[in-house]
Amino acid sequence: MSDMLTEKEVLHVARLARINLTDEEVMKYRIQLKQLLDDVDKIKDVKIDDDEQLITPIDEKAVLRSDEAGEMLEPEDIMKNVPVSNGNFVEVPVMINE
Amino acid sequence: MTDYKKTIGIEIHVELKTKTKIFSDSINGYGRTANSNVNVVDLGYPGTLPTLNVEVIRLALKAALILNCDINREMHFDRKNYFYPDLPKGYQITQFETPIGTDGYVEIEVNGDKKKIRIHDIHIEEDTCKSIHYKNHSFLDFNRAGVPLVEIVTEADMHSSEEAMAYVEKLRELFLYADISDCKIEEGSMRCDVNISVSKTEELGTRAEIKNIGSISNVGRAIEKEAERQIALLEKGEEIAFATYRYDEKNDATIMMRVKEAGNDYRYFPEPDIPFVLIDDTLIDDVKKTIPMLASERREKYMAFGISLLNANKIIQNRSLSNYLNKFLDSGIDLVIASNILLGDISFYLNKTGLDIESTKLTDEKFIDIVKRISSGELNSKVFKEILDELLEEDTSVEEIISRRGIKIINDPTELKTIIEKVIANNSASVNDYQNGNTRAIKFLMGQIMKETKGSANPELVNKLLEEELNK
Repeated sequence: MSDMLTEKEVLHVARLARINLTDEEVMKYRIQLKQLLDDVDKIKDVKIDDDEQLITPIDEKAVLRSDEAGEMLEPEDIMKNVPVSNGNFVEVPVMINE
Repeated sequence: MTDYKKTIGIEIHVELKTKTKIFSDSINGYGRTANSNVNVVDLGYPGTLPTLNVEVIRLALKAALILNCDINREMHFDRKNYFYPDLPKGYQITQFETPIGTDGYVEIEVNGDKKKIRIHDIHIEEDTCKSIHYKNHSFLDFNRAGVPLVEIVTEADMHSSEEAMAYVEKLRELFLYADISDCKIEEGSMRCDVNISVSKTEELGTRAEIKNIGSISNVGRAIEKEAERQIALLEKGEEIAFATYRYDEKNDATIMMRVKEAGNDYRYFPEPDIPFVLIDDTLIDDVKKTIPMLASERREKYMAFGISLLNANKIIQNRSLSNYLNKFLDSGIDLVIASNILLGDISFYLNKTGLDIESTKLTDEKFIDIVKRISSGELNSKVFKEILDELLEEDTSVEEIISRRGIKIINDPTELKTIIEKVIANNSASVNDYQNGNTRAIKFLMGQIMKETKGSANPELVNKLLEEELNK
C-alpha cells in the first residue's frame, strides 16, 4: 500500500467536487486524503458482531406528522439559489442514463 | 419458437394518494406550475430534516394488507446513495432492510385459470424530481420530489404476456378500489418495469429489464417483442446482454438504453434521521377497517344477483356507480334492473351533465321506488326515460312526478284486453303471419298496442295477454 493517492484519484475527486486544484494542492491532497482514508479504515477494527443495529441514537419511536399542507417556497425564490435556471425550471447539464 | 419458456417478474411503482409529500408538508399534486409544490426539505437544503407523513404509513399498510403480506412491525428507512441531479440530497430515502410488507400474493385469472403471483415485497420510498431533456440540457421540476411511492416487487412467477397484463390490471384494480392511488399510468402515478428472460431449460436465461412501460397493453406488446428478440439471438448462438431497455410504441420494439454494470453499489445504510416506525395491532385493525369491498368480491356478488359478467365489469370500472349500487345489495330490489338503469339512462345523464351520481337528487328511497315500479311494470322504460331529468334534478318523489305528468300505467287486464282485441281486429294480416309461424309479427302488434295506449301500457302484461289472445 502506498502512502498517498495517485494524482488521477485526487483529480477525480476534485472534479466530482467541482473544484480546481493547483499542482501543489494536488500533491498536498494526495497525502492528506490518504491519511483521512486510513483513519476512517480504523472503523473496520471495531468488533460489532454482538451489537444490535443502531438506527438512531434516540430510543423513541418515530413521531408521525399529520397529512396537512404547510408553507411552500415561491419558484422565483428557489431560483435565487440555483446557479442556472430557465423560467421556473432548474437547469443542469444533460443527464445520461435516463 | 414455442419451446422457449418466458419468465417474467414485475416491479410497479405507485404514487400514494396523500395531501402532502412523504417527508415534508408541501403539497402532493400533479399538473401544477413547475417548482411550485416545493419547500426546503424537498430541495435538500442543509439543516433540514424529514418528518414522516402518517397517511403514507396508513396507505402503504393498507396496500401491504391487500397484497396478503407479512407486516414488518418494527421497520425503518434506508438511504440509497447515488449522485444524480434528480436527488439534491445525494440519496433517496427508501426501505431496503425492513420493507413494510413481504411474502404476499395476488390472485390473477387468465382464460379461466386462477393463479397466485407471489409478492416478494412492498416497500415505501420517495419519488425523485421530474426531468425534461432538451439537447444538452436537463430541466428539473421538484414538484414530484418527495411524492410518496410504494414499490411492489413480484417473484418471477409469470410466464406469458397475458399473465403479466392480468397482474398489472389486477394490481391497478385493487389499488383504485382501496383508494390507495389514482393509478394513472399515462400521468406516471403508476409505473411498470418488467424483467423478462427466455430459456429452453429449467435454468433461467439472462434477463432484460424494460423500464417504465406506458400502458397495460404495451406491457404485453413489450414482453412479446423482447422475447422474440432474445430468442432470435439465442438461435443465432449469441449471448443476451444484461441490460435495460425501453419499449418504443411507434416502432413496436424494445430499444436498449444501457448495459447494466454488475454490482451497482448504492451503499445502503439505515436512515438516521427517522427513528423506528412501530406498526401495532391498533394501527393494523384501524387500517383494515378502511379497506372497502374489493373489485373481485363486488364482481362475485353482482353475478350472484344475476347481473351479467359484462355488466358487472362495466359497473366495477366506475367506482362511484359501484359504490352506489352496493347500497342496495340487501334492499331486496331487483339488482339486474337496478344495474341496467344505472348503466343505461342514468349513466347517459351523468356523462351528459358531468355530474357524479351522489350529487344528483336521486335519493336511495327514490331509486328503490323506481326499480320496484319498473319490476312490477308500473313504470316502463319509455316513461322512465321521459321523466329521468326530473327524477335526478328535483326533490320531488316518483309518485308526484308521475301524477303531475298525468302518466298512468295501464295495469288493468280488462282495460288492456279491450285494446288488444281492437288491435287484433285491425291488423289481421299480422295476426295471420304470427299464426303461420312468423313469431316476429308479435313485435309489430305490441308496437301498435303501445301506440294505442301512448306508451302507458305495462309491456310485460301486454306481451302475456297478447300471446294468450293469439294462441286461443
